[in-house]
Amino acid sequence: MRSAGTCGPRAAVGVIALTLTSVAVLPAQTAAYLDFNGLTRELRSLAGGSNLARLRSLGTSHEGRDVWLVEIGNTAGAPIETRPGLLVVGNLEGDHLVGSALALETIRYLVTTDDEGVQQVLAEQVVYVVPRLNPDGAEAMFNAVRYDRTRNGRAFDDDNDGRVDEDPPEDLNGDGIITVMRVPDPSGSYMVHPDDARLMKKADPAERESGAYTLHWEGRDSDGDGYINEDGAGGVDLNRNFQHAYPYWKRDAGPHMVSEPESRALMDFVIGHRNIGAILTFGHSDNLVTAPDSRGELADASVLDLSAFADASNADIFDQGVFRTAQQGGGFGGFFFGGGGGGLPRLRGAQPGRDNDPDSGRRPATTVNRADLKYFEAVSEAYREITGIEKVGINREPEGAFFQYGYYQFGVPSFSTQGWGLPQAPAEETEEEAEQEEQPPAQAQAERPQGPPRSGQGPPRGGQQPGRGEDAQGVDAAILEAMDAAGIDAFVEWNPYAHPDLGDVEIGGFGPYVVTNPPAQQLPELGRKHGEFVARLATMLPRVTIADTEVTNHGGGVFTVRVEIENTGFFPTSLQHGVVSQSVQPTMVQIQVSPDAVLTGDAKTSMVQKLDGSGSRHEFSWVIQARQGSSVEIRVRSQKGGTATTTLTLR
Amino acid sequence: MTHNGRIGMAIAMRCGVLRTLMAFALVAVASAAMQGLRAQEKRGSDPQHQLPLTWDRWLDHDEISERLRLMERTWPDLLTLQSAGKSYGGRDMWVMTINNPRTGDEADKAAMYIEANVHGNEIQGAEVVLYSIWYLMENYGRIDEITRLVDQRVFYLVPNVNPDGRDYFLDEAGSGARTGHVPVDSDGDGVADEDGPDDLNGNGIIEQIRKYVPGEGTHRISHDDPRIMERVFPGEKGDWVLLGSEGLDNDGDGRVNEDPIGGYDPNRNYASDWQPDYIQGGSMDYPFELPEARALNDFMMARPNIAGMQSYHNSGGMILRGPGADWQGTYPASDIRVYDELGENGERILPYYNYLIIWRGLYTVHGGSIDWTNDGLGIVSFSNELWNGGQYFNSPLLQEQQRDPDSPISGQRSRFFFDDFLEFGDQYLEWAPFDHPIYGAVEMGGWKKLSGRVNPRFMSMELFHRNMAFTLYHADQMPLMTIGDATVERVGGNLFRVRVDITNERLIPTITERGRQNTVVRPDLLTVDGNVEIVAAGWVRDKFRPGPTDMIDQEELDRILVRSGHPGRTTRTIEYLVRGSGSMTVRYSAVKGGTVSTTVALR
Repeated sequence: MRSAGTCGPRAAVGVIALTLTSVAVLPAQTAAYLDFNGLTRELRSLAGGSNLARLRSLGTSHEGRDVWLVEIGNTAGAPIETRPGLLVVGNLEGDHLVGSALALETIRYLVTTDDEGVQQVLAEQVVYVVPRLNPDGAEAMFNAVRYDRTRNGRAFDDDNDGRVDEDPPEDLNGDGIITVMRVPDPSGSYMVHPDDARLMKKADPAERESGAYTLHWEGRDSDGDGYINEDGAGGVDLNRNFQHAYPYWKRDAGPHMVSEPESRALMDFVIGHRNIGAILTFGHSDNLVTAPDSRGELADASVLDLSAFADASNADIFDQGVFRTAQQGGGFGGFFFGGGGGGLPRLRGAQPGRDNDPDSGRRPATTVNRADLKYFEAVSEAYREITGIEKVGINREPEGAFFQYGYYQFGVPSFSTQGWGLPQAPAEETEEEAEQEEQPPAQAQAERPQGPPRSGQGPPRGGQQPGRGEDAQGVDAAILEAMDAAGIDAFVEWNPYAHPDLGDVEIGGFGPYVVTNPPAQQLPELGRKHGEFVARLATMLPRVTIADTEVTNHGGGVFTVRVEIENTGFFPTSLQHGVVSQSVQPTMVQIQVSPDAVLTGDAKTSMVQKLDGSGSRHEFSWVIQARQGSSVEIRVRSQKGGTATTTLTLR
Repeated sequence: MTHNGRIGMAIAMRCGVLRTLMAFALVAVASAAMQGLRAQEKRGSDPQHQLPLTWDRWLDHDEISERLRLMERTWPDLLTLQSAGKSYGGRDMWVMTINNPRTGDEADKAAMYIEANVHGNEIQGAEVVLYSIWYLMENYGRIDEITRLVDQRVFYLVPNVNPDGRDYFLDEAGSGARTGHVPVDSDGDGVADEDGPDDLNGNGIIEQIRKYVPGEGTHRISHDDPRIMERVFPGEKGDWVLLGSEGLDNDGDGRVNEDPIGGYDPNRNYASDWQPDYIQGGSMDYPFELPEARALNDFMMARPNIAGMQSYHNSGGMILRGPGADWQGTYPASDIRVYDELGENGERILPYYNYLIIWRGLYTVHGGSIDWTNDGLGIVSFSNELWNGGQYFNSPLLQEQQRDPDSPISGQRSRFFFDDFLEFGDQYLEWAPFDHPIYGAVEMGGWKKLSGRVNPRFMSMELFHRNMAFTLYHADQMPLMTIGDATVERVGGNLFRVRVDITNERLIPTITERGRQNTVVRPDLLTVDGNVEIVAAGWVRDKFRPGPTDMIDQEELDRILVRSGHPGRTTRTIEYLVRGSGSMTVRYSAVKGGTVSTTVALR
């Protein structure tokens, strides 16, 4: 399904932006969600109107839209690529348009504010903003028929039946949105929730409950295979396409890590800019409102029951067509036939006396290193203080999420936030959460069902069990209650509909985009707060300076040169995990003399693994042979903390 | 021994029967070729080569390119040469396709993908690939089994996955040539590849450096042979220290050879069980970041008919299969049976080679190429480690003698013996004095780059041929679908019972169990065309006895999905109950096993 605002190749974008302008010059801030052309126009206007910002394209999406990057920094200072950098990425999930809105407002704040602190940040640091990584997915919000679409524009055969995108959801009742159908069915698994007639729950036979409904996404079985809406438009959720805890072989995750032009464009940018010292993403998962706990684990993930139930209606699709016939053996043809077996047992996959230890080899970290927790906690505190957000809605399991890559593999402080909050929940919900937390964490993680994509109109890849999402029961009620409290009309009432294939059904449920995006009028204020937060985060980046130097003349052309370097930022030059994962280089200090002029002391080229922030220092000293009165240069290079140079005269 | 002999005889006997059967099958396919064959037979059994090539030297990228073009020009009907993309250094990633268009389109036949030289220094695989193309072409129309194989299958042959590394190994100093040439900052100074080894004495070889330090060293000269350096026992002192490879402090940072070219492992950049660098050294930042791996993966993903894969490496004499790490668990039992049969026959084709699981028999590998092709593309994949040191003295008597410490072919001495008497000293450079700018008076010398992991040139032919033979056997066992004649029985009125036998003639299933689990292979499709209504369809449990059929519970009985594919060497009988008239066509389509159909008249 190609969206209404589909663009041609990159070259055409500028023309379209100029000719399709339908909105007049926008006010200072944007209280609306923008389609690709609208966003492009805003970015061009901001970058064009400021000498602090530069706009460029990192690459193009499947459908030919640009993935924009705005680099913000005052070029008058040190070369941009050597400065400590902060990367902000939004709208990785296609339906999370609030992310691109906040990223846009962040750019606006940084280039227009007259705050002196921010101006200093932009003179010494650089902020990179990718407002919308998934422009194809985001464009679906502006289609005539709307549904939460997290995925990008890759054509993908979701149900692996040899036909691509052949059974999308249909807007049967013509209300412009896709919601859920509940179909009366005595053998169904679901019943109306006793506490709230809008909601459904899975009937629990142990409680003498019995199901009365089956649930599907709104639509028909377009391809006549017996499954409803199992293969709609789009292919890959970009925030499941990265390298940490990648959900192998699952629907939405792509054929492999970093398989998509959009995710690859971002990765190539990141690994080409190792000065990036912190990452902030706007997405469906949170580690900012709730920082990692003392064991380094993130808050529990949740999914909307109603979406999980509707997804589960196609969960058995990969069991269909599995036929077991014992291999008959015997021979038909080929060079060898009937040649099976007969190998010596020792030859079956092992080498005698050389059986390697199966447990040898390290495993990748899956929790935040204890030594790094305090940085996550401090940033979380700053985030809550600046934005006032205390509670989030649905919190998605961050498997394959970009911000997780940022910490676990790129080795820098890396964050994700939904970018808006809900009013505090009632007490009973908190009790439930507390109960969940009492479970042993490892077990809870292992047993937690893989959260089906909220937006999904099809089965997950790899054949999930029906009924998954059971543990999450109760989430819908809490969300609905919070939405009601916030005055957000999140739910479309059930209404009868005469379905051409299924007879009398009801259609209703959570409206698309409502649970993940705040009302547009909140965007200007949320945007300004997030701009302030981004500026604060940039001030926390490590910043390495030469704090003190001393030259001692021993006579006879022999000198001791002593240098102290200092990290004046808040973050260390490398997190402990950056050291463990060897992803952040040590800070290098080099004295610019011939290596054999160093008589004793530190090596000409010396390294310090990491230097903590907030004024921590490290000393180097060299005893060198040099001509009296000559000068010697000291160079400091910190991958994340910038560079510094000083020249000393030997006298 | 006895056991192997018996199996061998059984194979030989059954092969006789096979040949007879095969003769019928081949008449139509290869009749044109047969005429050429008869002409040749008059000259006796020794073939006149259409393209005489020699196989006793190692070719660099330009020479490989030239040889590929030459072969394409010689056999234009069957060969197509294309570039899958460029290496980091701008060299073409050549792919030679062998396909006979007269026997069908490429996409309709199972394909064997064969690659080599992923590691720049592991060169002999490229020659195996070139030899395989040449051998198949020279013997097409001459040897029945080769003609049949070429007519039934498609081959994609990639002699040189790492052309930058190979050229660096062969044409330049060649030290540390395993890597590709994407720049990596190995020493953390913000500059990439600025301090590699240097050929200081200009003899074209990166030597080892040793320094004489009487009574202070870690090594001593062996009594067995003055060329052997031995590490001294703990608590003792030797007279020599080893100072690494020939080189300088190129960037003046006080360190020698600390940031050579590249600095990663091109075979850890694939997308199954990929792990970051601190878990799997040399994996780079994300799978398929490397232009070479990416280009070839794009090539493979665009050709789902690839059903078999071989990646030639060196050395050690191994036929490796995945998984590369034990964390990945074991393969499904039905896949293991397939691998075991191929691997065990491979051990018979390749003396001195052991069939091994990578993590158990070699070492743990995350993100290797054959893990990806098995897990992510559903391809039955092996990696052969070419050349086993046991082949230097390849007789039971000599190998027994090697275990005697007094023998001149025991331990390290065996290598010198071989070099002295078989290679006439060509592979070893005697230690010679050198005045090093940093280390002062030292000696440089040691083994040359071609010794050890690369087989001696004079032993190439056997290595090339045996490895090719294993891979052709593997290719021959890719799924091959056939369909029998339909039987029709009128049940009453215009209602008919139609039965069709569907067979996979070979060992490998159309969809591996792992491929099904990961949903990475399109299901087989069993379709019906014609003016018929399908009342029911089911698999016949036993067509020779009365009994139930296993009904197929799918909505579209004219397009049945077979997600589990068709097992190897198995016939299934499908039964349709149809209402209709005229003719009815039953078609079975497997992306990795071909499409077959039969048409039957309903009467």
